[in-house]
Amino acid sequence: MMSRKMSVRTRAFAVAGLAVATALTLAACAPPGAAPKSESTAKSGTLKVGFISPTSGVFAIAGQQMEDGWKFFWDQAKNKAGDITVETTYEDDAGDVNQSLAKAKQLVEQDGVDVVVGPLIANTASAVAAYTFSQGIPNLEPVAASNNLTLSGANDLTVRTSSMGGTQANYPGGEWAATKGKAKTAVTLCSDYSFGWESCAGFKQGFEAKGGKIVKQLWAPNGTTDFSSYVSQLQALDADMIYVATAGGAPGPAFLNAYSGAGGNMDKLLLNCCALDQGTLVSLDKAGNGDKILGVKSVSYWAEGAEHKATQAFVKKYTEATGTIPGAYIAGGYMTADLVSQVLKKQGLVVGADLVSSITKFKFDDSIFGKVSWEKGNNMVAPVYVREVKRHADGKLYNDVLAEYDSVSQYLGKDEKAMIEQDKSKPYTNAFQG
Amino acid sequence: MLDPVFIAQQALNGLSEAAVFFLLASGLTLVFGLMRIVNMAHGAFYIIGAYVGIAISALTGNLFLALVSAVVVVAVIALITELGLLRAVRGQELPEVLLTLGIAFVVGDICLWIFGGNPENLSSRAMPAGGFAIGSASFPWYKVLVMVIALVIGIALAIVQNKTRIGAIVRAGVDDRETISAMGINIRWVFTGMFIVGASLAAIGGVLDSGITSILPSGGNEVLLKALVVIIVGGLGSVSGAAVGAVLIGLIDVFAKVWIPELSYFTIFLPMALVLVIKPTGLFGKKS
Amino acid sequence: MSNPLTRATPVVRSATGLIPTISGRGGGRGTHLVQYLIVAAVAVFLVALPYLGVTKFQIGQTTTILIAAMAAASVSFLVGEAGLASLGHGAIAGTASYGMAWAFHQGWDTGLSIILAIALTLAVSLIYGLLTMRTSGIYFLMVTLAIGMLIYGLAFRMSSVTGGDNGLLLQRPEWINARENWWIFYYLVLALLIVTTLVLWVVARSPFGASLRGVRDNESRMRSLGYSVAGYKVAAFMISGFVAGISGVLGAWNTQSVSPESVNVETSILLIVMVILGGVGTLLGPLVGATIVILVKFTVSSYVDRWQTLLGIVFIVVILLAREGVVGSIGKLTNRIRKRRAQRAAGEDVPEAGASASNVSHT
Repeated sequence: MMSRKMSVRTRAFAVAGLAVATALTLAACAPPGAAPKSESTAKSGTLKVGFISPTSGVFAIAGQQMEDGWKFFWDQAKNKAGDITVETTYEDDAGDVNQSLAKAKQLVEQDGVDVVVGPLIANTASAVAAYTFSQGIPNLEPVAASNNLTLSGANDLTVRTSSMGGTQANYPGGEWAATKGKAKTAVTLCSDYSFGWESCAGFKQGFEAKGGKIVKQLWAPNGTTDFSSYVSQLQALDADMIYVATAGGAPGPAFLNAYSGAGGNMDKLLLNCCALDQGTLVSLDKAGNGDKILGVKSVSYWAEGAEHKATQAFVKKYTEATGTIPGAYIAGGYMTADLVSQVLKKQGLVVGADLVSSITKFKFDDSIFGKVSWEKGNNMVAPVYVREVKRHADGKLYNDVLAEYDSVSQYLGKDEKAMIEQDKSKPYTNAFQG
Repeated sequence: MLDPVFIAQQALNGLSEAAVFFLLASGLTLVFGLMRIVNMAHGAFYIIGAYVGIAISALTGNLFLALVSAVVVVAVIALITELGLLRAVRGQELPEVLLTLGIAFVVGDICLWIFGGNPENLSSRAMPAGGFAIGSASFPWYKVLVMVIALVIGIALAIVQNKTRIGAIVRAGVDDRETISAMGINIRWVFTGMFIVGASLAAIGGVLDSGITSILPSGGNEVLLKALVVIIVGGLGSVSGAAVGAVLIGLIDVFAKVWIPELSYFTIFLPMALVLVIKPTGLFGKKS
Repeated sequence: MSNPLTRATPVVRSATGLIPTISGRGGGRGTHLVQYLIVAAVAVFLVALPYLGVTKFQIGQTTTILIAAMAAASVSFLVGEAGLASLGHGAIAGTASYGMAWAFHQGWDTGLSIILAIALTLAVSLIYGLLTMRTSGIYFLMVTLAIGMLIYGLAFRMSSVTGGDNGLLLQRPEWINARENWWIFYYLVLALLIVTTLVLWVVARSPFGASLRGVRDNESRMRSLGYSVAGYKVAAFMISGFVAGISGVLGAWNTQSVSPESVNVETSILLIVMVILGGVGTLLGPLVGATIVILVKFTVSSYVDRWQTLLGIVFIVVILLAREGVVGSIGKLTNRIRKRRAQRAAGEDVPEAGASASNVSHT
């Protein structure tokens, strides 16, 4: 018995040891000839695009809409930009960094795409941007909103094509509140994670730059479903303006329901892009609460009621075709597609660093976002709107423009190097105020 | 922040949160008490109930109809689940938990597919409008209604548990399954019934909660976690524990957000961790 | 061997047979050789993989699978030998990943980073062990879940250290960089998987392992015999945590990033899913389970929108019909065939399924 057990054990060790030894020996030898990745078809007039977004999981609606916007453009254009064919492969990353990276690797190494578009969530965007840069592949971000993507984390191959950093997009809101909004004091309620911190920082800076005073800042953890505790605090603080920034999806309607239910003064509110996106308008209107939010103000780089010709044409076209009024996620996907198409038409088929420089040098005066350009760090410079909710003739709710701030840059008029340094060395907490 | 009116407002906020917690937790704790299953699909029943309730509320503008239809749909699904799936693993803790986990996966994804990812709310036509003034703010009548419903259900559960024959059977079943079977009562149908009751309570919680917050297909997991916290604090298997736990967690959550906002993520899990370390069976739980 | 998933069923079953188990039980004379040959074959296949015309991307995917298999093996050990199903191993492995990323940002060299990561993991495993040592079954599950949630919260909140929801990026050391030396990294992972599997196997077959199984099967009896039940549980947790920690270090290098998702409940749940799908307490189970889950999550999801439903259904089916998992079920099946063949050869009647003198069986 004993000897058989011993021999079995010895045998097992021997086998394992052999495998380990072989592995190590092979590791020391010349690398295996791995099959080459599929060739880019740049020579043959096709641009291969890899599109990553969270179409399942918590952020499913945002990811799906970003994909819908992109797809809508190419369906209309029959996948062609002039003579060039644009071929897109769509992948779901479920908002998970590991999955996002795995998909990016698959698209770049296995499918041989020329450019990766997306993903959406801030940490997935950072991770994928770092990866694609290491592979020499451009990365276009239609919706990601983290400051550092184009500041301290910027690289030469990543472009934020159709959205803004949180601070950049909300700074004009603060300015407006202190000036035209006639608010002397304000209180902020923001989601307690990087997007919320950066958005609140933008509002605070803009507000204080014009002489306003922030009385208090409240931070709501991600996943807060019942905002009534915060609403009561906001009411008790009795400031002139209440700035609220949350992620897209459920928090917007949840907050507005709690606030209006508790008898809050709707005129005092200034929300961010995502708390008052079309998704919020639709879900509130559907539940019969649409009238309660008429006139509520928000600040964002996208306003579906903006009077620009290109914006109106797009909104009309999209609404007629799908029945959905486009919100910021759809607009982001569409705008990036529009941009890529126009660049390809102008420059021919460009890939790699040429594609990036063609994009960042492109003068896009009539985009659906208005007049748009790109700046150092490959970030979008565009108008920011202060919006208010209005019901149009078709009976639906739109965000119309109340005030427009043109050519808002992520450097906010300050020294570029200082901004980048600050972004790199900031305390990574809600104490971050830009 | 020590103004009495403000404290009263927040206390009401906490109690209305507690009402929802109780509805969610009571179903879960009942099922555990009798069947020793932690039903990880509890959140799934909440979500299905919420979506059905929302749809019916939009169609009819009637809250009662919304509640009833949600309960009916969820009860049928719970029946099928229990008969088809759970009976096959009866009596084995781990497979039961894991099976319900698999169901939660499937339901969450199917809901995303059917209903899409847009947040949904209960139709305002089904909700009483306005509220009563408290200080310069108002407290919605709807939340008062939710609290009343939770109270009524709690009392009903207590009465059924302690004063009716069914309740006696269930209590006996919790303590000693073999004897109950020996007495000629078909314990398997008692189990099925209890599972359906638990799921129905989750559905009611879902419908009512959709008037307070927004519903997403992924919302089931959040809800399950909150319910787990409450029943762990209150004691697995105890309805009165669920009530006490719900009130505790609701009030702690609300006031912590005011006074110690840095810990607001932990306000829900810290009491649970403390209870697990000090008295793992919970405040009102029995030693199994 | 008693599998907590198949215990308490009326028919006594053995989950082993042809496929080797960690504790090496089951099967009769001669099956041991076949068992180990199968494992050896798999090992040789994996060693030779890069030379079989497989692409860099596919090797990368296999690397991910191997790392997941290591984490799953640590969970499988705890479930199989100690009967403790943990929903906290995502957090334990993730702690190691965070340790690596943080040390990278401080500019520490590789060796020190690894020491920090493993030290952190062992500390966290100790905490888990101490907090759970008086619990078992469902309560154990709940406690590990609770602690996991707390760790997730910490990863989120201590943002100046952990990078908050954005997480941290890091780089692999030069000798296993992602550009040219990806195959060296693959072999490193493979070697470590083999070593850790071996370590767990040796522990399971040692007297410690036997006592652990005793604690699993009958705590009170072991206590009355004078064994420190809590001590064994904590020790088992530390061993399991150590292996999970190694997988966390490799995982951080694999994706070159870490974020709160690495430590959240979903990760822990997926580990349990891998273990169940593969087969609790079997040698190849974690690898099989990891392969299935990772392929569905990363590859099938490219073709099937409803892949989460698919995963859930597969999981349900396995629990209902093949609780021993893929590997365990194959073992059971082949075992049954062998026995029937042997008995027929000996001219006896085929006995009732499951009952056998040569199989070790427990209730």
